[in-house]
Amino acid sequence: MYSKEELFLAISNVIDPEVGFNLVEMGLIYDASCDDEGNVHVTMTLSTKACPMHQLIQQWVKEAVQKMANIKEVEIELVWEPEWNVTMADEHVKKALSR
Amino acid sequence: MAAIIYLFFFSAENISLLDTKVLSLTHLFLLGFVMMTIFGAMAQLVPVVLEVGHFGVELFYAIWPLLSIGTILMVLGFLNYPQLLPYGGTVVLISMMIFVMEIFLTIKKVEKLNLVITSILISNIFLFFGIIFGLVMALTYAGIIETDIYALLRSHVFLVIGGYITITLMGLSVVLLPMFGLSHGFSKKPLEIAMAMMSVAVLIVVSSSFIELKILNYIGYILSILSLIVYFYMVQTIYKTRARKEIDIYVKSLLFSYFSMIAALFLAAAYLIFDFEPLLLSSAWLIFFGFFGFAITGHVYKIIPFLVWFERFSPLVGKEKVPMLTDMLPKKSSSAQFVFSAIGVLVIAIAILLQDDALIKAGASFLLMGALALVRSVFFMINYK
Repeated sequence: MYSKEELFLAISNVIDPEVGFNLVEMGLIYDASCDDEGNVHVTMTLSTKACPMHQLIQQWVKEAVQKMANIKEVEIELVWEPEWNVTMADEHVKKALSR
Repeated sequence: MAAIIYLFFFSAENISLLDTKVLSLTHLFLLGFVMMTIFGAMAQLVPVVLEVGHFGVELFYAIWPLLSIGTILMVLGFLNYPQLLPYGGTVVLISMMIFVMEIFLTIKKVEKLNLVITSILISNIFLFFGIIFGLVMALTYAGIIETDIYALLRSHVFLVIGGYITITLMGLSVVLLPMFGLSHGFSKKPLEIAMAMMSVAVLIVVSSSFIELKILNYIGYILSILSLIVYFYMVQTIYKTRARKEIDIYVKSLLFSYFSMIAALFLAAAYLIFDFEPLLLSSAWLIFFGFFGFAITGHVYKIIPFLVWFERFSPLVGKEKVPMLTDMLPKKSSSAQFVFSAIGVLVIAIAILLQDDALIKAGASFLLMGALALVRSVFFMINYK
């Protein structure tokens, strides 16, 4: 129903308030897929296991996807492998963080 | 703030390890500021680090009033009313026992111990015994029982400062520093080594309270200095591997904190060689007000904006524009706090070495300005709308 790019675009509205970048440009969203019935599966990680906002961030991702038309269910899979590091972020994020 | 105002009443003749004004100030700062902040932070951080809920987070509401009352009684007790010490000591003991038991029961819910959880477990065991030694000392000061107060003092200081505060900071560093700096790919092995060395150092110093063997003391002291050097090595690797290179107020505070720690280690090593008490007192000053103080204030600039943001702005995400955490930092007052406090800490460290009255007052003036700026910063962050 929706492509990975369309789902990523929706999720890019979710911003990490600590660093000020969205989750997609941070490289925290590993994969996203949507079947014909509108069931979405998002595979994502966080910059640290100890992130105090982990539940909230997953909730925001869910809400961002649910705003798309005809979405039935959103399942978030939080994974720690591969472990996130800054090389997974977009170039402009890396540049901004290293300033 | 109260501890800093108190500094104005100090003179060179008070610069001695067992001076009641020194003991009073130390307890006011360590119990009223350092411990209170650590307990508050633990209420927030333990579920994050342990990945289980608190056994009874409501118990924390009992801890802070009890700790406040106990601290005030102990401060007054050391100052002029020794008969208050057993009461203050008992109230502090009760509040800390509630804390320690809550932490133990929370850890019991954890299925698998990792390095950070182990550090919390070890540090709380040391705290448990540290406060018992403290109560015995309070009873001795009040004249209720007779004990060798010098021997107990060493154990009390090492159990609480080395065993509890330092090991807690070590364990939390490995979570908080990489989280805020986005550091990855560093080894945690040095933390294991540093924690093991500090634990052995504490056990050796405590044993030396009961076994008359001076060499044991020295081994304990040297081991604790080496432990902090290994810990510093790990912090430096976290700093080097960080993705966020910005030197903000948080990083500045931590840099000063670790600079104070290293300076304190040099002074402590010099004390072991020259046996000149002001060296030890200046080292302790730098550890308490430089290392602990700046590590705490640095984290205040991260934790308060987060808590306020979480409470006030997180429900508005996706509905309206919300501020970033960095927008909630008061740039001018946080810089003023850093500069005034850092100068104050250094001036007093020198004043203790030179035993100079005027320099103590000068340093206290800087620290007071720094404390006022900190209070202003805290109000700014709490009231951010």
